Amino acid sequence: MATRAVEIAVGVPALAAERAVTWPKRTKARLSNGLEVILAEAHSIPKFHGELFFGSGNAAAMHRAPGLAEMTATVVRTGTTNRASRQIEEDLRRIGADLSSGAGADTSAISFAGLSEFAEPLLGLVNELAREAAFPEGEFERERRQKLEEVKLERTQPGFLASERLRKVLFGAHPYGQVSPSEAQVAAYKREDLQAVYREFYTPENGLLLLVGDFDAQEMLKTAEKVFGGWAGKKPETNVVAAPANPRGRRVYLVHVSGAVQTQILAGCHAITRKHPDWVKLGLTNSLYGGAFNSRLVMNIREDKGYTYSPRSGVNALRQHGYFSVSAAVRNDVVAASLTEIFYEMDKLRSVPVPDPELADAQNYLSGVFSMGLATQDGLLSQLSTVALNELPDDYLETYRQKVRALTPEDLLVTARKYLDSANMQIVVVGDRPQIESQAALFGEVEVYDAQGKQVD
Amino acid sequence: MKRLQIGIESTKLANGLNVVVAPDATAPVVTVGVYYKIGFRLEPQGRSGFAHLFEHMMFQGSANAPKTQHIKLVNSSGGVLNGSTSYDVTNYYEAVPSNALERVLWLEADRMRALKVDDENLKNQRDVVKEEVRVNVMNQPYGGFPWLDMPPVAFRNWANAHNFYGDFADLDAADLAGVQAFFKTYYLPNNAVLLMLGDVKAEEGIALAKKHFGEIPSGAPPPFADPSEPEQAEERRGNVEEKFGTLPAIAIGYVMPQRRTADWCAMALLDQALHGGRAGRMHRELVLEKQIAVEASGGIDDLFGYNGPTQMTTRILHKPEYSSEVTLDAFDAVIREVRENGISADELEQLKVKWRSDYYATLEGGHGGHMPKYGLMHLLACFTLFDNQPQLVNTILDGFLAVTREEIQAVAKKYLRNEKRAIVFRTPVKASAKEAA
Repeated sequence: MATRAVEIAVGVPALAAERAVTWPKRTKARLSNGLEVILAEAHSIPKFHGELFFGSGNAAAMHRAPGLAEMTATVVRTGTTNRASRQIEEDLRRIGADLSSGAGADTSAISFAGLSEFAEPLLGLVNELAREAAFPEGEFERERRQKLEEVKLERTQPGFLASERLRKVLFGAHPYGQVSPSEAQVAAYKREDLQAVYREFYTPENGLLLLVGDFDAQEMLKTAEKVFGGWAGKKPETNVVAAPANPRGRRVYLVHVSGAVQTQILAGCHAITRKHPDWVKLGLTNSLYGGAFNSRLVMNIREDKGYTYSPRSGVNALRQHGYFSVSAAVRNDVVAASLTEIFYEMDKLRSVPVPDPELADAQNYLSGVFSMGLATQDGLLSQLSTVALNELPDDYLETYRQKVRALTPEDLLVTARKYLDSANMQIVVVGDRPQIESQAALFGEVEVYDAQGKQVD
Repeated sequence: MKRLQIGIESTKLANGLNVVVAPDATAPVVTVGVYYKIGFRLEPQGRSGFAHLFEHMMFQGSANAPKTQHIKLVNSSGGVLNGSTSYDVTNYYEAVPSNALERVLWLEADRMRALKVDDENLKNQRDVVKEEVRVNVMNQPYGGFPWLDMPPVAFRNWANAHNFYGDFADLDAADLAGVQAFFKTYYLPNNAVLLMLGDVKAEEGIALAKKHFGEIPSGAPPPFADPSEPEQAEERRGNVEEKFGTLPAIAIGYVMPQRRTADWCAMALLDQALHGGRAGRMHRELVLEKQIAVEASGGIDDLFGYNGPTQMTTRILHKPEYSSEVTLDAFDAVIREVRENGISADELEQLKVKWRSDYYATLEGGHGGHMPKYGLMHLLACFTLFDNQPQLVNTILDGFLAVTREEIQAVAKKYLRNEKRAIVFRTPVKASAKEAA
């Protein structure tokens, strides 16, 4: 809520006629071994970007151990039956390539970029990592000890502590409820566990290869066929996991960090997945609420009140469940004031229709930013992967802007009432307990945790 | 080998404003930047953090576009915007659908012509900046390490050695008169470059620049604050407390050669030999082989974007069971090896291929995916403001690809010397992350 009159600009040039947005042609194929391949040409620089996804991540490995898919991906790049770690890194440099491997909740991936002139050797190395990773004992041991330090370090980051607690609160015992392994869990990782995950997840039937860049799509498809064609392997069984309970009522979770000079606020509630028909509506609602610089929340608690530097809200789409969240790192003495405004803006969107001009602004924002992905190879790759991994319709990119522009104030009111669930938001505050507990308690019953994740008194 | 050629048109308006256009119709998106030749180094003495605070004020309102309107008009055109302050330049930039080009130019011209802000705006942004400093530095493990920790240890000239984010007392002392004086001194067309990249024709871009910026009066050239350093002749060391993290950290910075010299090109490749990811010698020796460190990274920060004293800085987080002496010995062994034996022909060849690949990625660079051509903009701006040669973007690569093994070893011997370095030890106050509940 602005405390002073908003002035408008005078003499602003009108927008010129819009140029058509043309998404490049996608070439799709399924190799005989089941590997799905999607390619798109983008000739901005003489390079290409690629990603080899596997449709299983940390959630699918949770019954073995938390974070095991991530650990597997980490060790995958450290050695194959043909190449030792040092050789892999030098070979990458020799062809001007970057490569990383990792796993999120729902996928494991090898991501890479390199010069077009060395496309075949780079794909060859990716193929080797996907099929012939050797999990050398020494490399595994080193990466495991390295991981131990990382999991210790993340417990000193307010942002991590907040998201860890929120995910636990929203998803409980569901695999999405644990974002990172504990030290003890990392210490218990075994090389054989990683190899089992690797055998199970890293198969062509479970794979999706995306390539974007400066190449001829038909030629590149032939290269992909030549490199990956001889690989074989089945899609893993999917474990059925019970849906998490949706927490009712507002509660506050305080993570105590002694001496913190700022408080990290993170509040969230269950929402929807990317595939859900309400996705675009919620995206627009979020953009109005706190998803853009020009959004209500940013204008309120940053530009008007100066409580925080980078407030934001977002819809986090995991494959099986999504959640809506809002975050802000605020001055310790305005924790209650910030939460008041966070809820005020949510409730306002739930009760008063958005004025037409504001809606038009947000529609323009969302459709404009969507097209930025066209301008760079990795931007385009990320758009294509969103479509493919979420099994969105083929014309998703082409029709998205139209869908955004068709929405009405009524649509947003309904959407806000459904998903900006202010009465059931779970509130996490990470900060110095004596300075913030009484402020936080105004918003719900408080549970207190330490930085190790243990509940106290 | 395929070389990338960027088509560039540039001109200087009568008021001294440089204009650079790099047309590319691949996507209906245009990136606009305005760079002013003013950064941390030149902020008024005793006013640490002022240049950055001032950057925030540039979003607070101008003559015809009051507070919130810059943000609103860019976002509602389908675009994004931001600004940043660095050592020698401050930039403001937008990426928008190309039909909003003229609107964005109008906004940038309006704030180049006349900043219109009040005390309430200043108080508001002072609060915002303090939260920015808290979230990035004071409330983060290893916050500001080493970019804020190193300068006061390494440098003697206040321009290079002060706290760039600003002491809170200095931020509190900033007043509106100071804001307007700073604006009048540095935010002049003859101290700036306007860049348009992407879906814009060269003649169209230049015509629009004349229309919107042509009448902005130029001013007296800003006073030159000499950022040069007295010759360093001894190793310098400093200590900083780490409040949250539990791993000891060390940063070692060596003074860099003058930019755009042969030594500079050789140092840049040597930097890649040392800090180029997992193949880099620092990571390989300290993290992979000896396993003393959890992280050994760093290098030259923004090679093209500085115009004064700077360093090549290694950042190490090491395991507590190794002392800082042992860690530093391992670091020194890497330096000694390259000083005594240089690098192999094969290694140099790898470095050059990687350098070329990285350079193309920089030019396309999307700055987090939402700012196409950010890297190209940055290079064109720096080559214009520092060298008056935007075309360097197409030729600068040659100097790096011509570097020889002998030159690499020679710069290692010349620059990687103890009396040319500074070391910061960031020491945890807690022995363990475990706290009493």
